[in-house]
Amino acid sequence: MKISLNWIKDYVQLDASVEEITRAITFLGFEVEGVANTGAPKLDHVVVGEILTRAKHPNADKLSVCTVDVGPAGGVKTIVCGAHNCDAGNRVLVALPGAVLPGNFQIKLSKIRGQDSQGMMCSPDEIGMGSDHSGLLILSGQPDLGAAMNAVLPPGDTVFDIEITPNRPDCQSHLGIARELAAWFKLPLIYPQEKFRGDVEAAAVRTDLLNAVRVDSPEDCPLYTAHIITGIKIGPSPSWMQERLAAVGLRPINNVVDVGNYVMLETGQPLHAFDAKKLGGGQIIVRRATDGEKITTLDAKERALTSRMLVIADAQKPVVIAGIMGGENSGVSAYTTDLVLECAIFKRQSIRATSRKVGLTSDSSYRYERGVDPHGALEAAWRAVDLILETAGGHVVGPVYKVGGEVPWQREIVVTHDYITEKIGFDIPAADMRAALESLELTVTREEPTELPARGPAWTVSIPSWRDDLDRPIDLVEEVLRLFGTEKIPAAVVTSPGLVNDDDPVVMFNRRVTDYLVGHDFHECVNYTLRPAKELATWVSQTAAQELALANPFVEDQSHLRPTLIMGLLGSLQLNQSRGVVASRLCEVGRVFIEHNGQNLECAAVGFIIAEPVGERAWLKREPADFYIVKHHVTALAAAAGIDLARQSLAPVAGPFFGWQEGQSAAAGTIELGWTARFGLLNLAMVKSLGIEGKVYAGIFAILPDKLSASLARRRYSDFSLFPAALRDLALVVDQAIPAADVQETLEKFAHTAAGNAFAVESVNAFDVYQGKGLPEGKKSLAFSLVFRSAERTLTDDEVNAAFTKIQADIAADGRWSVRA
Amino acid sequence: MQDKLSALVAKATAELPTLKSRPEFEAAKARYVGPNGELTALMKQMGGIPKEQKPIVGKLVNEAKLRLTAQLDAALARIAADELAAQLGPAIDPTLPSPDTGPGTYHPLTLVREEMCRILRKVGFTVADGPEVETEYYCFDALNTPADHPARDEKDTFYFPTSARFGNVSKKTPEEKYLLRTHTSSVQIREMLKGPPPIRIVSPGRVYRRDTTDATHSANFHQLECLYVDKNVTVRDLKALLDYIFVSLLGKDTKTRFRPHYFGYTEPSFEVDLTATHLPKVKKPWIEIGGCGMVDPTVFEAVGYDSEVWSGYAFGMGLERLAMLLYGIDDIRYFYQNDLRFLKQFA
Repeated sequence: MKISLNWIKDYVQLDASVEEITRAITFLGFEVEGVANTGAPKLDHVVVGEILTRAKHPNADKLSVCTVDVGPAGGVKTIVCGAHNCDAGNRVLVALPGAVLPGNFQIKLSKIRGQDSQGMMCSPDEIGMGSDHSGLLILSGQPDLGAAMNAVLPPGDTVFDIEITPNRPDCQSHLGIARELAAWFKLPLIYPQEKFRGDVEAAAVRTDLLNAVRVDSPEDCPLYTAHIITGIKIGPSPSWMQERLAAVGLRPINNVVDVGNYVMLETGQPLHAFDAKKLGGGQIIVRRATDGEKITTLDAKERALTSRMLVIADAQKPVVIAGIMGGENSGVSAYTTDLVLECAIFKRQSIRATSRKVGLTSDSSYRYERGVDPHGALEAAWRAVDLILETAGGHVVGPVYKVGGEVPWQREIVVTHDYITEKIGFDIPAADMRAALESLELTVTREEPTELPARGPAWTVSIPSWRDDLDRPIDLVEEVLRLFGTEKIPAAVVTSPGLVNDDDPVVMFNRRVTDYLVGHDFHECVNYTLRPAKELATWVSQTAAQELALANPFVEDQSHLRPTLIMGLLGSLQLNQSRGVVASRLCEVGRVFIEHNGQNLECAAVGFIIAEPVGERAWLKREPADFYIVKHHVTALAAAAGIDLARQSLAPVAGPFFGWQEGQSAAAGTIELGWTARFGLLNLAMVKSLGIEGKVYAGIFAILPDKLSASLARRRYSDFSLFPAALRDLALVVDQAIPAADVQETLEKFAHTAAGNAFAVESVNAFDVYQGKGLPEGKKSLAFSLVFRSAERTLTDDEVNAAFTKIQADIAADGRWSVRA
Repeated sequence: MQDKLSALVAKATAELPTLKSRPEFEAAKARYVGPNGELTALMKQMGGIPKEQKPIVGKLVNEAKLRLTAQLDAALARIAADELAAQLGPAIDPTLPSPDTGPGTYHPLTLVREEMCRILRKVGFTVADGPEVETEYYCFDALNTPADHPARDEKDTFYFPTSARFGNVSKKTPEEKYLLRTHTSSVQIREMLKGPPPIRIVSPGRVYRRDTTDATHSANFHQLECLYVDKNVTVRDLKALLDYIFVSLLGKDTKTRFRPHYFGYTEPSFEVDLTATHLPKVKKPWIEIGGCGMVDPTVFEAVGYDSEVWSGYAFGMGLERLAMLLYGIDDIRYFYQNDLRFLKQFA
């Protein structure tokens, strides 16, 4: 909201500097977003001069050469000028050499098209007064020659642009801000004195203009007042009013409209004036609109209304969207002579809902939405009546209508000195606290000692109707602190008892996996959670994508929750490649959302990609990434969540979507288990379609947050043997399609059977895979290393051989595979 | 005998230095000093030496044996040294670059978040976590933000359709809608509902506003909030925390100041400004860095805490904003583009 300093000074006699006032407003709790001057800036070497002669410039059609008398400031000067109005006899402002005009424009002696020029005559914009560049600023009133500019021009106004917090609707007005400043500077607040106080001569009753005011919807309009003024003359408002309105950004229109705006900006109470003759049936009815009713508002737009919207209507039609904007059909025009002045209170929620629905806001709706002092309406109306009579003439006639408004205001809060001290944690003398409250017109109606005589008093504080935000003792703590000055809160040392908890398991997991990946040369990325629909189609089914959609996305390419981190990482990879930056290892840690049976599950997740470092030139080539490298990393990430991937069955990634390359990728876990992992090569065609060059391997691990909490059980130590191991190798010929893990599982079973209780099978581990020459078509050879060991003794060859023979016999008996000779 | 011994030693002296490998060496060693070796054979002839010559010949044999052993040891040592040398390639050029890219880097938001968490941990705050998809209750109702509050508007907050279900995000009432949290304060509510005070948490995390993306706005960004609930917590304690945080982060000459403000969930409420030297690209003396205040009694009521007994403070700030300030970054979008030339600057 814009606040004029000149205007404020009507209510509080400030003599503080603009800097001090800016600071005061700031520390009263309102952010000052800008301070602007409407008058002339302070400029040196700019003085009054009179143009003595004007001649055409010999070398330029559009320039003149003038002689200008600046009197005691330097006598007669020759100045080249391009303005149309540099006529002899005009008194103008002359910037002499040495002057620095706004925009750091330095005035020097110069030659313009071969002609000496000893200064510059100024247009308004050149001296920082607005944007008018159409001609020189011609001074009226024959100011003294040589007088300094700032001695001649009016000082102007200072306008503060202030952000009013939503809890302080009372400060949406000059009076409200003045009250705050009066409290801060400890000055009295001077209220405008109404002359009219509601008294109307009995004889002067004009029911022909307005015979009824009816409120059909009192819950939306608790108070409606209407005053009739006859015999007014529409014209421009006085210049002092126009200047103030213009200073705070309002365009002056006419005396009646300007008064309405002026009183609103003074008191915060919106008003509306009708041309009385345009009110059909001489009636005002405050009612809900009917569905389909229409009104053309003052901005010349037709608006469709619904039965949830409150309107002011006459006997036939809606004339105002209540509290928001008037209709073209009833407003004040140049021919208006009789008017009806509305001053009403509307329910905040109703105004807000309608304003949003219609898509229309105004200074009035803005104030009603935030709340207007319900007990200030009548005084605001009186003030407006005074100003209309003053600026437009006319007489107030009866009847005066006032519908509703019976609810009396009374609110008291009891607060003690000790309570305030306890909350703020340092001492402010009781007298200062009380003075602070009273400076804001929070009247202390009673001061009593508290039960313990050594302690401070208890105050009963009466809350004025405009301070609906003050409701509890804690609210008064803030008022005391504001006026004490929040800058002066004394320093202290943080007192810190022992830690209450450990960090959340999700946080610890995120840290572990980030450390792991960064430790393995990955660059951590952060991507947006919201992704475009077409991207999701790559990774999840259509039904899943539907579940992940927002109801109200802001932009099309951020419409869905991400089901995987890979797409964001591919975006980062693509960006780097397109910028010619070599990128290979990228990772991200963050939330993903996995759809399961029509429900979305929010998961903690970690993902990474390893891309070919396209564009990299290196003197020594490294092996490119492969499936087993990403498997290794995913295994480590799963381990950070307490999951041993080696004990999990792996399956090829399946589904109707194509993020992963078939036959080159694997999946483990399910969301029913509480976690899921995917890793391997990304679909070549998909990667290519994103404009990415080269193969990309990737891995992702996602887990339900609760699962992480459960995974912190302490491990138990188990003994290990100090005796030497016995090793045997065994190669099996199996179908190519058979997974190594299946063979290994069976082999482990046979090995355990063969060893029995005599000794342990420490490990069975695939160490060679071969297919090709020497093997039948469609077969491969899997070689396993078997490690046997006893906890009690060194094993003998005989007993190990016996077991090994038994294993081979079991394989032969099983019949599925043969031992490779 | 003497001649034979001399010849043997001479032969060995000539042969042993030419041996290339361990098997050759073992074979040669067997030929000289093995059970069937030439020296062994000569020693076996000692029995036929006349008694009076035995000491002289014995001495000669011993000398020859010592010389042979020394030569064998030398040959073995040479072969072992050659073997080690064979493991080495040519000398490296230490000035060539490693072809491995790296090291990995932490994202600047992670670095700033973790630094804040470490600073706060020293004064007793541990890290809490909560869902990014929230319900109206946790994000708004419990935080004294009534249903008609503008912050809840569909214009400003991302909502999910009423049909959407989130299996692991609990609702307080069946009719409330799911949304993307607009602040991490929802974590505070969930934390307080878990049990009685004292509570001392910091909740960093991702939040969402329905906003146009530009140099200073992003559809999702990160916040970090602190909550402390205990007996006798005061405004002065809150100021002490803020002073501590920013002095720890930015150095001893750092100062903070409070300006009164309004938030629905705190009373009184403040905005926090800081001033510090050596901040890159900062032109104003005071920089707004976050909001804070004393937890509003209405919030305590919502989580079942008695506001007559408990008091507390809360502080929140944007992590991107802090990172931009610390590093002198002037466009928030850089955090989400992941250009490696950006990411590699903060390690």
